Amino acid sequence: MPKKIDAAERMLNLLALLSMRTHSMTFNQIRAELEGQYSDDYQAARAQFERDKKALRELNIPLDTSVLGGEQAGEMAYRIVRKEYELTDANFTDEEIEALQIAVATVRLGAQESETALWKLGAERVDPSIGPQASIGFSDPHLGTILAAISERAPLMFEYKGEERTVDSYGMLARKGFWYLVGFDHLRKAQRVFRVDRIEGSVKKGKKNSYEMPKSVDVVKAVPNDRQMMAQGDYEHPTAHVHVDAELVQGVVRDFGRGAIVREDADGSAVFEVPCSNSYAFRLWLFAMQDKAVVIEPPDVRAMVVSWLDELTAGQ
Amino acid sequence: MAKKRTTKTARRRSTKPAATRRRAPKPAGHKTKKGPRSASERVATLLILLPWLQKRKRVKLSVVAKQFRMREEDLIADIQMAAMCGVPPYTADELIDVFVDDGIVIAEIPKFFSRPLRLTSAEMYAIIAMVKAAQSMPGAPSRSVLTRAVGKLARIAPDVSEAPVQIDLPDEPLLQELHTALNESRELRITYFNPARSESAQRTVRVGKIYSEFGHWYVLADDDKSGAMRNFRVDRIREIQHTGKIYDQADVARRANDQGNEWFGSDLETVALRVRDDATWISEAYPIVSRKKNRDGTVDVVLRVTGEHWLARLLLRGGRNIEVLAPAKWKGLTKATAAKVRAKYD
Repeated sequence: MPKKIDAAERMLNLLALLSMRTHSMTFNQIRAELEGQYSDDYQAARAQFERDKKALRELNIPLDTSVLGGEQAGEMAYRIVRKEYELTDANFTDEEIEALQIAVATVRLGAQESETALWKLGAERVDPSIGPQASIGFSDPHLGTILAAISERAPLMFEYKGEERTVDSYGMLARKGFWYLVGFDHLRKAQRVFRVDRIEGSVKKGKKNSYEMPKSVDVVKAVPNDRQMMAQGDYEHPTAHVHVDAELVQGVVRDFGRGAIVREDADGSAVFEVPCSNSYAFRLWLFAMQDKAVVIEPPDVRAMVVSWLDELTAGQ
Repeated sequence: MAKKRTTKTARRRSTKPAATRRRAPKPAGHKTKKGPRSASERVATLLILLPWLQKRKRVKLSVVAKQFRMREEDLIADIQMAAMCGVPPYTADELIDVFVDDGIVIAEIPKFFSRPLRLTSAEMYAIIAMVKAAQSMPGAPSRSVLTRAVGKLARIAPDVSEAPVQIDLPDEPLLQELHTALNESRELRITYFNPARSESAQRTVRVGKIYSEFGHWYVLADDDKSGAMRNFRVDRIREIQHTGKIYDQADVARRANDQGNEWFGSDLETVALRVRDDATWISEAYPIVSRKKNRDGTVDVVLRVTGEHWLARLLLRGGRNIEVLAPAKWKGLTKATAAKVRAKYD
């Protein structure tokens, strides 16, 4: 009696069949073995089979094909070698698996990948009730595609700031709740940093092995932090001396180190030398301290800050 | 066939309160989404689920559903389907041996799909990056064990072991001490700097949770001054002393988990801002209530205000790119703040 088979069931049966048989099978042989599971109509059955093959390959299951000789000359035959998709036994000890579980629970990536990896290694997702946790904070739909592209050396195509980009991806960095992609931007013909959540629309992956990975990629250095941003600009003065009130001195030392102190006053306040070549980033940093931080010199920078303030007091 | 017995169970509902975040909280898992699941999605899940189950042989249905973030009815449907699969002639011993009996998922005889799938490169990158980041944190598993585990991972996929994927966590010298206090349930007296008032004050706290978000470390602690769970930014803690008291860790941890990482109560005042051009960082850097993009490219955001000082700082930084829409009392705040700073330059 013919029964209704759904696509998932058929796919699983196809995978079982091709990985349990030791020899390659043609489409006709497969269709005969999986009797009643493919359509009675040849063309429709062929289309179903093509969809199944594609879906299995998307699950990283390699489907080997060969062209037969002899009586079946020219016919295509298919085979799945289990070794090629199954995890090699890495022989993790219980202690090692537990360590991986804790590590994954401690640093929350907000991505499905690490969880799936744990399941594949036979472990469980654990929720730590104690101990520090770092949340990377957001899950990004492009993450899987980008990570796969990096490992395959496949260029990525996406829209960024209204322009079509093709990027040879070198690496990724998670910092302050955001993911950054570091790579060679074909549009700008230079290495660039992209914030992943600012990618507009979809991300497409190009051909594998299209580029060489540079010998060493330091993604941490490639993505400037807020303080480094202040030094990356073309303003004529590279640094400024800023007087900071006592209660905020500790915070500024944290950012720039004690080496940035040029003078300490008796009341606990201090003068710091900080970068200001990127005047926009400098302004954001300076104004976060409101009236607790005042630019001392050079006079040009002081005048620039005064003009910003005058602009704000004049208007509304 | 006698072996396909299933149990119906009520759907679980999440009782976790929605957190105020700058981004919508992520869904519990990608498998919990509503709507029909595609065939390949179902197969992909089963290929991970079946080896996992066969390793354990008997697991409670509710535990499996929770672990894989699936609805129980979807899980039952997938298990029933898998039990029909195998190789011709599909007699009982040529089928995948898995079934649900009295709320227990049973997969005792490994015949098919007993070995897990290889890790994808994305999975390798993710897990290695997380392990490396975790190694630098207090409370991390022993370094040697982790190193050994990573070594074995590298053997599985040698081409991705030198992962150019990294997680950059903020450096925090006080983290170790706070972690020890949490671990040993030691009550602390901290000197905490409040930037809004520009003053430091002493508080007695019982730490329930230590976490990092958006580039800063926080402790969520039971605070005797407010009598409630409060978030403290670790880099604003100036000094830590022990009071000598030991507190009920379980109680504080439970309250910390109930609260989640919610920063602010919903009783705070809000401000409506119109943000132009370069200042769109505001809607990314602060917890927002709502965000609406206008035709002219400006963005209207509503933010919770923790204090006037905090808002003044935001407005000064944003300058002419931010306009206060409401309430009226804050419309002149940018000007007033700028004047206060300007006075320092006279």
